[in-house]
Parts: sequence; structure tokens; C-alpha cells
Amino acid sequence: MLWIVNRRFSSVTAAAGPWTTVRWLMGCGCLVVPALVFMLAWPLECRADTDRWPISIQQFVQAHCVTCHSGSEAAGELDLEAAVELPPSSAPAAWESVLRKLLTHQMPPFDADQPSAEARQATIEQLGQILDHQAATRLDPGRTETLRRLTRTEYRNAVRDLVAIELDMADLLPADEASHGFDNVTVSSLSPTQISRYLSAAQKISRLAVGRQSSTVIGETIRVRPDITQDTHRPGLPLGSRGGILTRHLFPGTGEYEIQVRLMRDRNEELEGLRGKHELQLRLDRKLVKAWELVPPGPGQDDRAVDADLKLRIPVTAGPHELAVTFPEQSKALSESLRQPLNVHFNYYRHPRLGPAVFEVSIVGPFESSAPGDTPSRRQIFDCYPEQPEQESQCATAILKRLSRRAFRRTATSEELSSILEAYDQGRREGDFELGIERAFAAILMHPRFLLRVELDPPDAVPGTAYRISDLELASRLSFFLWSSLPDDPLLRVAEQGRLSDPDELNRQVERMLADPRSGALVENFAGQWLYLRNLDAVMPDMRLFPDFDHNLREAMREECERFLTSMLAEDRSVLELIRADYTYLNERLARHYQIPFVHGTRFRRVHVPADSHRGGLLRQAGILTVTSYATRTSPVLRGKWILENLLASPPPPPPPDVPALEDATVLGARTIREQLALHRAHEACAGCHQLIDPVGFPLESYDAVGRWRSLEGEQPVDVWGGLPGSDQFAGVQGLEQALLDRPEAFVTALAEKLLTYALGRGVEYADGPAVRAIVSTAHEQDYRWSSIIKGVVQSHPFLMRRAADANHP
Amino acid sequence: MPIIRKRALCRRTVLRGFGASLALPLLDAMIPAMTATAQTPANPASLRRLGFVYMPMGCDHTRWTPPGDGDLTELTPTLQPLQAVKENVCIISNLELRNAYPGTHATSNASFLSAATAKRTESTDYHLGTTVDQIAARHLGPGVQLPSLEMAMDLMSVVGQCDNGYACVYQNCLSWSSPTSPLPAEAHPRVIFEMLFGEGNDPEQRAAHLRQRASLLDLFDDELKSLQRTLGPSDRQRIDQYLTAVRDVEQRIRTAERTASDGPTPDRDRPIGVPASYADHARLMFDLQRLALQADITRVVTFQLARETSNRTYPEIGVADPHHPLTHHGNDPEKIAKVARVNQFHVSLFAEFLETLRATPEADGTLLDHCLYLYGSGMGNPNVHDHTNLPIIVAGGAAGRLRGGRHIRYAQPTPLANLHLTLLDKVGVSMESFADSNGTVNDLFLPLHA
Repeated sequence: MLWIVNRRFSSVTAAAGPWTTVRWLMGCGCLVVPALVFMLAWPLECRADTDRWPISIQQFVQAHCVTCHSGSEAAGELDLEAAVELPPSSAPAAWESVLRKLLTHQMPPFDADQPSAEARQATIEQLGQILDHQAATRLDPGRTETLRRLTRTEYRNAVRDLVAIELDMADLLPADEASHGFDNVTVSSLSPTQISRYLSAAQKISRLAVGRQSSTVIGETIRVRPDITQDTHRPGLPLGSRGGILTRHLFPGTGEYEIQVRLMRDRNEELEGLRGKHELQLRLDRKLVKAWELVPPGPGQDDRAVDADLKLRIPVTAGPHELAVTFPEQSKALSESLRQPLNVHFNYYRHPRLGPAVFEVSIVGPFESSAPGDTPSRRQIFDCYPEQPEQESQCATAILKRLSRRAFRRTATSEELSSILEAYDQGRREGDFELGIERAFAAILMHPRFLLRVELDPPDAVPGTAYRISDLELASRLSFFLWSSLPDDPLLRVAEQGRLSDPDELNRQVERMLADPRSGALVENFAGQWLYLRNLDAVMPDMRLFPDFDHNLREAMREECERFLTSMLAEDRSVLELIRADYTYLNERLARHYQIPFVHGTRFRRVHVPADSHRGGLLRQAGILTVTSYATRTSPVLRGKWILENLLASPPPPPPPDVPALEDATVLGARTIREQLALHRAHEACAGCHQLIDPVGFPLESYDAVGRWRSLEGEQPVDVWGGLPGSDQFAGVQGLEQALLDRPEAFVTALAEKLLTYALGRGVEYADGPAVRAIVSTAHEQDYRWSSIIKGVVQSHPFLMRRAADANHP
Repeated sequence: MPIIRKRALCRRTVLRGFGASLALPLLDAMIPAMTATAQTPANPASLRRLGFVYMPMGCDHTRWTPPGDGDLTELTPTLQPLQAVKENVCIISNLELRNAYPGTHATSNASFLSAATAKRTESTDYHLGTTVDQIAARHLGPGVQLPSLEMAMDLMSVVGQCDNGYACVYQNCLSWSSPTSPLPAEAHPRVIFEMLFGEGNDPEQRAAHLRQRASLLDLFDDELKSLQRTLGPSDRQRIDQYLTAVRDVEQRIRTAERTASDGPTPDRDRPIGVPASYADHARLMFDLQRLALQADITRVVTFQLARETSNRTYPEIGVADPHHPLTHHGNDPEKIAKVARVNQFHVSLFAEFLETLRATPEADGTLLDHCLYLYGSGMGNPNVHDHTNLPIIVAGGAAGRLRGGRHIRYAQPTPLANLHLTLLDKVGVSMESFADSNGTVNDLFLPLHA
């Protein structure tokens, strides 16, 4: 492992090797040079006449394509018989699509004669070279939108990096709509609701950040999800406790706070699980502040008597504090039962709580507020503090210059600064220096230069042609890609000095940024969307069929996948290990779910999983298997589509609008999902796509809808035979993994395209084909390590460049 | 009939000019031109608020149902608290919810405003119907801050199965915006207050808050314009779209500022916690409804006084037994008497609220004149879990020309949906039918042009 780490940090200085060559080539900014390299590798016939397709390609097309793709009735309105007669430069979009279909074995169709593997590979390579060459002569890096607002995640991270405040933005800003699989693509419009919420957010965040002494009392109520089992230890709470809630709460000022706890009720408005005596503890920053005794209500009392008085007033200083409310665990006897008891206890009728549970904690204050003292955000803001009134304006200017430069990703212009200082003056007049800073900070947060990412064509850009984006724009692209946040000071400085576009410097910055904890955004934000992990929260497996599912398990599923990905990135492993890893991360809850023994407690740890454990790579993780299932059953269709789209770069087309749902279609008598889908595929309208999709999902049928291993579906043995487009048949997850590993280019192409989409905030188009191929082939030489793909994206011309607006493509 | 001939002024226009000085009754100038004075205090156009209060687990009919029908001469023991507002209420007997059968607690609550059949499931594939309040909200809601406000007394969120194989949402949620979208109700007074009036403890802080919003928006506006100057033509259009959105927000802030400076609202400070006693909590919840209606922040309210199967005790009225087991009284006279006491207590809280509405002036009449409230339960006799002969009260005032002080007794069981249809019609939503309705409730209101 040490070797891996060393290699990662020393690769930049390697004197020679393919990576260095490509870096040099791409660094030139003119992609004609790589095109020359490719030309040297071309067959003679090609160099002699670039206006015609080489004979070999013409022959391939004649042999394998024109049966369907010719004439006025050409399939998919693609007449390749005619196209292959035209110069290669004439229809790049169509040929990119041909190349993709060949690469992913979607064409020729499975029931047609197949080319030999060698012929397919040779055609793929030759076609790719020609298309690369064509593209290099008229470089099109694509055009990102000029104005893009920050996503909710980016806004949250920006505030965190600006003033060290971590807030749950779900309360403050509306969710972002996703397209092309990511929420940072359609971010060019602003609705009144959005503006309204930005205003509220700016007011709230500036007040919390400055934390002035004020008379405003703020109340916040934190509720515990009802589907959390509180009869076992919760992560982060003291060992020996059970249930309850841990919240990292930002106390807006120094003073007295009233904290009130309410307990979970059942449907009869009675306290759930309260039998006998229990203790409830309130802890602030891990120190015990109060212990209450809970006893069932006496005669003539109802349950309100129990928690009506669970409140107290305590002094708390401004800033973030950990507030914990939990129950000391009582000794319990193991139930001597042949039946495995459920892990889940939250459903009054089916699997009731064993002890009382916390419903909500409400925090109101500060009462009798006093001077705020020291908080992380004040430390970040007040790097000077005026001792005399005459120092105020100078200090304010210094603070606001610094904050606005960070927030705007460049030094504020004098006009911008003066409008921010105006907000300061207004606040200063109404109150004091600190109110001035608060108002000015709100103005920064509401400034279009903070809220919007702006990329402008240089004044001398020729319409419709490619230009290199400025170093400052590049710094923003880089930091929003790797961190989902603002550039930090070192990055801004390098950009301001005009050094960031230097390929070596750019690589140095990428490595520095990947080593920074902020790169966790690649897991949470990028992979969370790429792999659909974000959808896990919305997944509600049917409670009758999957009674042993609760939020605790959902949290564990997510954490397994996130820790797994984090380790892959941190160790700079080959991305292929996502599929073939022999380790994963488990805690007790998830290990029980997987029936893996000897893992105890809520803490996650790396576990080596033997080959027969059915666990390890991404395709064996319960989180992935659950988000690709329905509430009541598995779906080979959803799983197949997920693999085709996210791991094989060959998304199937959307279903036609008039397709009946599976349940309503005539599938009476069919027993297993496979049998139902077989009937489905017999349907002519469905067959075309489902012949491709279903067999990809079938091998995962040995995992149920919450990712448990199974050998029966109902009373039928699970049938796990399946196949990838154009592959031999194989069985089970192992066969599927091997088939994916046999086509690493397809998998890495899929990942590279997803990364490029996310990095640019726009859909990948045919013109990006050459860039994607370059990323994949460069990464190939580096064993497909994460860093090689990420660097490939950053050094690609769509990332470094932009097409200037023209009349046709504004 | 005397006719007033004037140009009508909308209330907002007047407020803009007069600023904060206006907690005054309707000004002459605001009376729409060409209106008969006889109608003005009770202008049906002002009747644009609809409220629904849910009482759990039916009632003891012997102490609820008034004798005979027609004029309410004497109030029964349970309805006694309505004495002061007798002329503003109409009691309706023998309404039923056929779609709530088989008799359960879950369906009592679920069908009350939907009159629909709840799909029997304890999972997330629940299915009901759009409720009457939400249909009204679509019509009355546009232009106000909250199209509808959902309130409850119980602070719980239960998942899973609640009653006889029905998912808890049926029992928790009165209001459904579509057959698959139950709307959660809020029970925390502070959370509701913030939904209505935003942050800040008192009117002064709230006004300062709004001023800061306005000036932040100005800055945003200015900076967008200066950014616009650096852009190409198509991106300039994009900024124009942003600026249109800015105008919209500006308008909202102005509306909020006017509401904030518009005398009467809110005349209470922000509540902090949940009051310890049930009665105090309920009164506070009713008062928040009054504020929301008065300030025209919302026009549609639903309020659940307790959930079905609630085991609340009511020690403040001497009922120490939990409510749900009491209602399965097995005809034990002592238990029945206690059920009736709980019924009466719930009615008394509603009656107090009606008195408050009637004491709140609005236009030439009172707030009550411009509201219609439906109070009742989706269960009739809780001992047998039926959904027939539901306890139902309709309350309102002069604008709706409610024929108060009366008891309408149907000879045959009649769909509750008929009443929903009638109320919808009254606030301007004309529908052919609603759920299982087979007519309307005649003679609940006087004809508009008697």
C-alpha cells in the first residue's frame, strides 16, 4: 500500500513514460499534435486520402450494418450505406454513435451475424482514430452555460469554507432538479422562490456567523425519524447508551437556552415502550448536564405527565456544540427463541419499541444574551478587530475585501466592494461595527458574483471557435469539480499569478486537492448521484415483506458504499476494483444483514470478505441493490438499466409512452419475475430493449430487494443466468463482474463520461467523444487509477476550453 | 332598495395609502359600486375562508342530538357551550360516510374530508382521494401566502401500521392534496407561527427583518444589471428572466410589509414551547388560525383536535380515563357520561373560537361572517365503530347567509359528501358531484337574493 501512495505523489516528476507524453501534448492547447501522432499510426491508404473512408471500414459497414441501415427505410433513420460513401468529416455525430454501439456490443444486434472480436476491435480503433483526427481539425470543446447558480450542495460547502458554519441546507434552499444524471446541469434559471430562499439564507447565515449579542430568540426543533430503531446504540453517542439523538447544533449567541425533550408516542398517544423505570440523559459536548428519571404515569395521569417537564435552561456559549439526548442501556436478557428476533423496533403493531424513544428536541434561545466570545466563524471573520472607532472602517474594509475575494472567486472590483461597504455603513449606522459586518456579509451572500458562476467569452474571441478559459475560471471549475466548493487561497493565488494553466502546476493542484478532506465531495456529491445512493433516503421497502428494514439499516448501507469509495480514492486504486474488491466496510447492523459474524458495534471497519461471502464489490452492496429495486420486489429491469447506463455507457432508450405496467400486462400464471419478464419480452414493442436490459439484471437475482442473499424467489430456486450485450451467457454476480472486467474500456468510458458531465455541468455530446477516448486510453496506461482518470478530465480540452458564442449556438 | 353608486377601491390600495393606521372597518369607498346596501355587511364575495375541525371517535348521541328539527330551542348538554353563538351554528344529523366502511378508526379520519375509500395497506402504496379542503385551496389559495394550513394537536409521526391493517397516514392526515399525497399536519405552535409570520419575536423585529430583505434584494437587482452589461445578447436575456423573478419577490416583500404594518396581525408574540395543558395548547392553535385568517395569510384550515384512537386523558374536566377505551363503553352509563364530557369539552373549545371570530371586526361585519367552519367526526357511535349519524356542526355568519340556530335532521342516512359539495359551492367552487354525493344540503343557507 505504501508503494501505491508513493507512486501517487511521485508520478508527476517521472521523467518519461506515456503519461508525461500525453500531458505534454495536451498542455499545448492545440490538439493538432496528438492528431499527428495518430496519423503516423494510420494505415497508408488513410493518410493518402482523408476524404474517403478506408476500404476496411467500408467493408465492415457493408458486411455488418447495411442490412438494416440503408435506404429510405433505414433503421434509426441512419443510412450508413450512403454515409460511408461521403467524406469522414461529413457526419461526426452519426459515426460517434456507430463507434459507441460497436464498443458496447449493442450492434450488430444479438441475432445478427457477429464480426470476429479482432475485426470489431480493429474497426473500433480505426474509426476512433479517424474521428479524433477529424475533431482535431475543428476543435469543439463545447459551451458551458455563461451563468450557473450554485447548487444546494455547493452553497452549503461554500458557506462552510467561508465562515466555518455547517448547516443543513435542506431547510434553507430548495432542492435542485437533476438532468443528465446530475443536479448541477440545469442551474441557469432562477425562480422567485429560489431568490426568496437565498434572501432568507443570507440573513440567517450572516446572523449565525457574526453571532452578535441580540435580543432575537431563535427556536429550533430537531425531530428523530420515526423509522429509527432506538433500542440499540446510535453512532456518535456514548458507549453503553441506547437510542436518542446526537445533534451538532449551532448556538446563535451566548446566553441561556431552553431545551425541551419530547418522547415518541404510539398511535394511541401513549409513550411507546415505557415500562418500568428509565433514565434519560442530556449531554452537552459529551458532559452530562441532566439526568431525568422516567416512570410510567400514575393512576389518574396520562402520558403527558411523563415528558411535560423534560426541560431545562442552561447557559451555552455561541458556536457549534454537540447536544446529545440518550438513554443509558439497561441490562437485557437474550431471548431464547428459535426464531431470529428482528433488529427493528419502531412499528407499534408489528415490532414495537422495547424502551422509550426520543421524538424531538427543541432548543430555544438565547435568553439573557451576552457577548458572543470565541467561535470558529468569528475567528474566520474577524482577523482584525477595531479597538478605537476610527479603526473601524479600515478593519471593515480589510475583512470584507478578504471575504468577498473568497466568495467571488476573484478580487472584487472597486464598484462591487463599495456596494458591500454601503451595506456595512447602513448596519453600522443602525447598530454597531458587528451589525455592519453582519449586513455586509449578508450582501456578499446575496451577490450575483457569489450565487452565480460566471464564464465570459474574452472580448477578442472569434465567434464559434474554441478559446482557453482564464486561469481564474479554471480555478473555479477545478474546485467545484473536486470539492463542490470555492477555490481556497493557494489555488486562487496560483490562478491570479497566471500559473494554473501550466499543465504541471495543474496536476500539482489536482493532487493537492485530492489529498484534502474536501475532496470527500467526490464521494458524497459525485458518486452519490452517479450510483443513485442519494435515492436511498426515498426508498421505502414494503414493511410487510421486509419487516427487518429500518433507517438504521439505510444509514449503514449508505455508509458502506461511501467508505468503500473513499478508500478507493484515497488509495488511488484502479477503478476496476470497484467491481472486483475483496473487502468492504461493515458495522454490526449491516453485518447481520449480510449474515457475516463477528462484527460488533455501530463503528464501521474494513472487513476482508472471502470469495464465498457474496460481498465485496459495488454490485454486491445492499445500498446499490436496494435503490435498484421496487418496494415489494427486485427488478432485473432497474438493475440492468442501472448497469448499462452507469457502468457500461450504453443507456437504453426510454420506454415508449404507451407501455402497460408489468402488473397490468397479461402475465397471469407467471410465477417468478423472470417468467413475467419473459412474457414481456415476447411483446414486440418491448422486446427490442428488454432483450438488452433484462439479461444484465438477472445475474443479481440472488440478492433480494433489500440486498440480502437468497437462493429462492418465493418457492422457486433463483435463476441467475444472464448476459451482457454480445457476451456469452454467464451465471450470478461473479459472472457479471467478470464480464464487466472483460470490457474495461466500456466501464471506464462510462465513468469518464459521468465525471466529465459532472465536472462541466453539461451533458456530454458527440463532440466530446475524442476527449473521452483520450481520457480512457491515457488512464489505461496507468492501470485505470482514479487519479489518472480525474487528471485526464481536468487536462481534457472540454475542461480547459470553451466555445465562444456565435449566432447559431448562442 | 337604496343603491350606492361609487367606484370600488380595493382594500390593498387603501392600505398602501394609509399605512399602519388601518385596523378600521370597511370604508365606504371600498364597497363595490352598484351594490345593494342590504347585502354589504354580508358580501358573499368576502366569504372566502373555509375551516375544518376534526373531533375524534364520534359522540354519545343521547347527549348530542337536539330533539326535533327546525329551530334550536334548547341546546343538548354536549352542545351547551355553543349557547353564546347559537345563531351562528347549524346542527346536522344523520349524515354518513359509506366509503369509510368497514368501520375503523383509520377510515373515520381518512374519509372525513375525502369521503373516499382508503386502500387497505400498511405500506407506502396508500391511496385515498383529494380532500374537500384541498379542492377549495386550489380555488381560494392563489395569491395568498399559504394555500392551506394543516394543524393537529398530536406531536407524533408514526410509521407502519396503525389500525386494522391501515397505514398510519390515514389516521394522521386529514388533508390530502391528491389520492397519494397526504399532507402532514403541524402541532408545534412556534413552527406554525413561523410559517405564518416568519422570524422575529415582535412586530418591530419582523419589520426590520423585512427592511433588510428589501435592501438585499435591491443590491441583488443592481448587481445583476451591472453584470448584464458585460454579457452577450442571449445571456442578457437570461438576466432579464432573473430580473422578472426579482420583481416577483419584491412584490411579495411589499405584501408582507403591508401585512406586518396592517394593525391587527399578529397581536401576539411568538410562542416558544408547547403549552403543557391540552386546553391551552388547543386555544393557542385556534388563535393561530384566527391570526392566519384575519391577516389573509391562508384561507383554508384543517385542524385535528386529537387523533382517532387517542388515549389522551382530560384531567382538566375530571376524565382521568383514556379516551379510546372509554368510547368502547359497552353501554356502561358511567363511561358514556365520560365520553359525553370529552365531547362537550371539545365543543367548548370550538365554541370559544367562534366567539373570538365573532368578536373580531372585519369589513362591516365580523371575521365569523366571512368564514365557514365544519366541525365534526368521521365516526358516529364509537362503541360499534360506525360511520352513520355523524356528529356535524356548520358554523358561519351573515356573509354566507347561514341559517343558524337550527337543526337539520335527515330522515334517511345522507352522504356527508353532500355537505362538502354545498360548502365548496358556497366559496365559489362549482362541481357536479363530490365523492359519493347525491345532492346538496338544502336550506343550510338562505338564497342570496331572498
